[in-house]
Amino acid sequence: MPQIPPLVDKRVLRPAQTALALELVTRMDLLRLKSIARMYARGLPPEVTWEDMLQEALTRVLVGTRQKPEDVTMVAFVAGILRSLRADYWRRALKTNDAVRIDHESDESLALVLSDPAPGPERALDARQALNAIKRLFSDDETALQIINGLAQGLCAEQIRVATGLSKTDYDSARKRMRRALLREGLTCEPR
Amino acid sequence: MRTKVTKGSPETALLRVLDALVEELIEASDEEILEAAKALRMDLALPQSAAWAGVTYFARPRLDEFFDVDTRKKLPDGH
Repeated sequence: MPQIPPLVDKRVLRPAQTALALELVTRMDLLRLKSIARMYARGLPPEVTWEDMLQEALTRVLVGTRQKPEDVTMVAFVAGILRSLRADYWRRALKTNDAVRIDHESDESLALVLSDPAPGPERALDARQALNAIKRLFSDDETALQIINGLAQGLCAEQIRVATGLSKTDYDSARKRMRRALLREGLTCEPR
Repeated sequence: MRTKVTKGSPETALLRVLDALVEELIEASDEEILEAAKALRMDLALPQSAAWAGVTYFARPRLDEFFDVDTRKKLPDGH
């Protein structure tokens, strides 16, 4: 039977540390990704943590489950995986909470569980609360709130500028303020 | 009867906002990150800085850190 060689270093590394050691990401990239993971975890059930999502996304990169295209930056690539994980967790939450059990009339052995593809009131409420929490981050910035509202309606930057009467300079300044606020929130570990 | 997912559903609106804000974070410069850390009085050079919580160390203590799998199974429910 083959002998497994002893580990040179017995410390357990987290996926983020491994990705850093392999120079797949920089330290600053990890902080960007932390902020992104915290963002994409919003509106998900409380048992789904941004931390697990981040480490899972990096694990998928490390084990090769997902291959990065050459023309995509690592941060954008991992952000895409995080978005995909979010969708998975969202679907799972729908199945868990909104499954409709259909029992056969007389047969006690077989029961069918159908999942309703439409989000139930609980999920809709979670999403609404998450959106409100994001708005609270910009509660003292009227322009940022206008931008958030426009984005929520599916408007692009140009449409938001026209609808709100913002100049390009004002719009870009607001985006910078928003980015700073997002980073300040993203670096913390405050509950989302 | 439950309504179908529409363009105006809360989740759709949330996802649109999240995607747009994530784009902003992807484009954030190193300087902006350092500035945010400074505003929070975080020293990124310190491994135990709160900035690295959830990244290089667990954000919240977990039982996995203290107990092996067998011991965890013996713990009362709720742990």
